[in-house]
Amino acid sequence: MKTLWRHHRWWLTPTLLIMPAAILFSVVILASSVESLWISLHEWDGFGPMRWIGLDNYRELFNDPQFYVSLKNNVIWLVMFMLAPPLGLAIALLVNQKIRGMRFLKSLFFIPLVLASVAVGVVFSWVYTPQFGLLAIIFRFFGATAPAVLSDEHFVTFAVVTAALWPQTAFCMVLYLAGLNNLSEDLIGAGRVDGAKGWNMLRHIVLPQLTQVTFIAIAVTVVGALRSFDIISVMTSGGPFGSSSVLAYQMFEQSIFSYRFGYGAAIASVLFVIMAVFIVWYLSRIIRAEERGA
Amino acid sequence: MTDIHLPTSTDRPETAIARQDAMTSLQLHQIQKSYGAYHALRGIDLDVEQGEFIVMVGPSGCGKSTLLKTIAGLETISSGQILINGRDVSNTEPGERGIAMVFQSYALYPHMTVAENMGFGLRMAHRPKAEIDAAVLRAAKILRITDQLDKRPKQLSGGQRQRVAIGRAITRSPDVFLFDEPLSNLDAALRTQMRVELSGLHAKLGATMIYVTHDQVEAMTMASRIVVLNHGSIEQVGSPLELYRNPANLFVAGFLGAPRMNFFEVTVDSVSGRSATVSAAGLAPLSIELADGASVQKGDTLTMGVRPENLSVATDPAAATFAGQVRLVEHLGRETILYIDAGPLQCVSSESGNGTVTVQIGHVTAISADAAIGLSIDPRDVYLFSSGEAQTISTRKSILAD
Repeated sequence: MKTLWRHHRWWLTPTLLIMPAAILFSVVILASSVESLWISLHEWDGFGPMRWIGLDNYRELFNDPQFYVSLKNNVIWLVMFMLAPPLGLAIALLVNQKIRGMRFLKSLFFIPLVLASVAVGVVFSWVYTPQFGLLAIIFRFFGATAPAVLSDEHFVTFAVVTAALWPQTAFCMVLYLAGLNNLSEDLIGAGRVDGAKGWNMLRHIVLPQLTQVTFIAIAVTVVGALRSFDIISVMTSGGPFGSSSVLAYQMFEQSIFSYRFGYGAAIASVLFVIMAVFIVWYLSRIIRAEERGA
Repeated sequence: MTDIHLPTSTDRPETAIARQDAMTSLQLHQIQKSYGAYHALRGIDLDVEQGEFIVMVGPSGCGKSTLLKTIAGLETISSGQILINGRDVSNTEPGERGIAMVFQSYALYPHMTVAENMGFGLRMAHRPKAEIDAAVLRAAKILRITDQLDKRPKQLSGGQRQRVAIGRAITRSPDVFLFDEPLSNLDAALRTQMRVELSGLHAKLGATMIYVTHDQVEAMTMASRIVVLNHGSIEQVGSPLELYRNPANLFVAGFLGAPRMNFFEVTVDSVSGRSATVSAAGLAPLSIELADGASVQKGDTLTMGVRPENLSVATDPAAATFAGQVRLVEHLGRETILYIDAGPLQCVSSESGNGTVTVQIGHVTAISADAAIGLSIDPRDVYLFSSGEAQTISTRKSILAD
């Protein structure tokens, strides 16, 4: 027994260590994805028998105007969420200054991170409340009347994304703060000796050292934008008339409220493909950049 | 390599005038640096002539790197004045001081090519591209790295990175070059090679260089003057041989020289004229000539120092100054190191750490461990240090030894 272990240790140890993660990943991610794809080819109410309908769910989806509204909203989310990394960097640079009281300010910026996004959604719903909300008070100060942003189909998505941007920016800030702590002091020194100051210092010395952090910040932000769901559920439930829905929320709504698990699975599959394409493209870019020695 | 125009500090027109009336390249005036209650630098005064190669040495934490960083402007000074070519730069940004610095970690910008690294300083100074390219090429030719210009630092070996870091300094044609332990990350063979090259580079450029190291071989071989620092103060400044032959105090005597000088506690038996007779348990009396102004009285306890190479094995045991038993023999080929247990004569803070006396013999010897031997000391090679301040009180030694 002992010799058996000694002879096979070289592959047993890594296998045993990787096994739990591998099992979890295959059950929770791989198997579920495959099953979800399978379900999307059926008509199913979640309880009764599944009926094979081939690609009918997808055909219906691509003719569904709500799908394009959701997709458009996802694009809005994606574009607006791209503000989070630069905003996070700016705040990180600000609170990284060695100024008295900065630690307190830093902790204030941390707060949205510890809030559940449901709580963020509720807080922003109050901010947007017509007549009594913070937004209404600010507008009144300038003698204007605030629009009811959450019930206006043109503003609603922007209002929800703004709420979601708050914790996302804080998250990027934390990433960049960690990155700023790992800057090479010698490189900064070399830059200063070479006469780099202000913008040049940031552009040529600091930012290149934050490339890895930026890669992670962008990836996390894109995925966060695409899977946004909870905050929409809390603030608008996709309304008014589905105008603030996104793919993830539409999938949830179709499956849970309309008992159309097959159709919901089809939406999930489309979302999955979009994410997979992005991640593959993005990872290949990172790997290529690393090979270039950046 | 013959017809290369060498960038010298005279390429900087704005400082050329200053040089005419002052050949002093760098002046440090009462430099103080404190971190709260901790004093890293305690009033450093130093004048460096144009073209000198100054090596700063000292134990870790002595303030040598801090001093270099204050000259570079990477650290602010608490008080004092720094002048480069007569211009007060105490509060000037590092990039405007006319200095260039080579870091221990090389500190090359990883995302830039070698050429971009070297030209970055001039680019920040908004010089025209043609001028930058010419300066980079000139520096690259001096360091023979012209074929590396398009590579990135990651693709280079340690020695090549070091050249690029030096090249980056040359490209800026500074008034003063600053080196912060530049060779300590290289392996021994490469370090020797780069040491020779740096000395050659200094001779070629004729530029003022300030070099920080903890390696005393680098200090002894490269310096026109060595500055020995300890606890944030200058212990002594002088040429390598001057410091080696005439250390001002016990610290400098113990710091320079490997293996270390042997120190013994001795008592003054008698004083007559300018010489004192000292002895210790197990040590025959030695009459040592004193320096002018040394005040020594009978009965004083002093520290006596003898370098390992100044101890010789006595052929006649009766003539030996002290006797002992060989503990360990180290054969280094061209020389032999003996560690000797001299019984009651204990070495203070000895090389081996256990009170043995270190002897360096310049040849191969048949002496083996456990042998009982006698050792003799020429009184002219002995250093005496006062008890309190540990200043050297024995007479000066000629630099070119007899």
